[in-house]
Amino acid sequence: MKEMKEIMMAAIFDVVEQMFYVFLEPVGDEYADYAMEAAIQFKGDLKGEMSVLVSDGLAKSMVQNLLGLETGQMTKEDIEDCVKEVANMICGNFLGRLDQTRTFALSVPSFSQPPRKAVTDGDACRLYFDSDGESFGAILRLTN
Amino acid sequence: MSFNVLIVDDSKSVRSVIKKIITISGFRMDQCYEAANGKQALEILSKEWVDVILSDLNMPEMNGLEMLAAIKADIHLQKIPIIIISTESSDERRNAVLEMGAKQFVKKPFSPEYVRKVLYEVIGMEDEKTHERNERDNDGGDF
Repeated sequence: MKEMKEIMMAAIFDVVEQMFYVFLEPVGDEYADYAMEAAIQFKGDLKGEMSVLVSDGLAKSMVQNLLGLETGQMTKEDIEDCVKEVANMICGNFLGRLDQTRTFALSVPSFSQPPRKAVTDGDACRLYFDSDGESFGAILRLTN
Repeated sequence: MSFNVLIVDDSKSVRSVIKKIITISGFRMDQCYEAANGKQALEILSKEWVDVILSDLNMPEMNGLEMLAAIKADIHLQKIPIIIISTESSDERRNAVLEMGAKQFVKKPFSPEYVRKVLYEVIGMEDEKTHERNERDNDGGDF
């Protein structure tokens, strides 16, 4: 699980820094007040789901950095689309780092605002971050 | 000479970013068409001529692999160069896509510089920025 967390962290940093110009600081295991969630399922030799949790302010910063839109210009759809793409990129990047020789089928990302209650249930690999007072989380759940 | 470009991705944000990269790169773009999936892309291709396609793989309704197969099976469309831009980047997937006839594969997340480089390579044109740099270097001036 430790190795899985390290791979997940590298994937998260790669995506949010390169594509969204956001810098994250790992924090403890405490679940913060997230405003929204994007989730994506994957199937292959491994099967599971990756969820990305974001506070409202961080989601807006990512839209701003990606699309150059000011807060007043961005729509709910822009925010949803952007957070779903974050989940898509992190999941793909994570699976590629896990094993470049294996191919996985990814679902189309789903979006929940607020996050689904069940997202914190059960065994999972969880990573939480801070970015200038805003919150970012990623949860990886493997299924059989 | 300017080019018509088709960007296919279910994320409007990614389409906007790719369009912006192409515009900023100085690429001579005439029309830029956008589609949210392979089906929409084929509808556009039935009406409009495009010189290059940049497409995601993982999309609803018709994914990038299905679209690629349909384009390669169509005698009128099969020569249009296709660049795949995707998070699904395993060696197996990349090789499959290239064997199916895509010209290049770009992994998400991508840098604007890399997308620009690939686009110019695929179109078979020298990147104007590289051209300017080469001209400068060949002038023999000291920098």
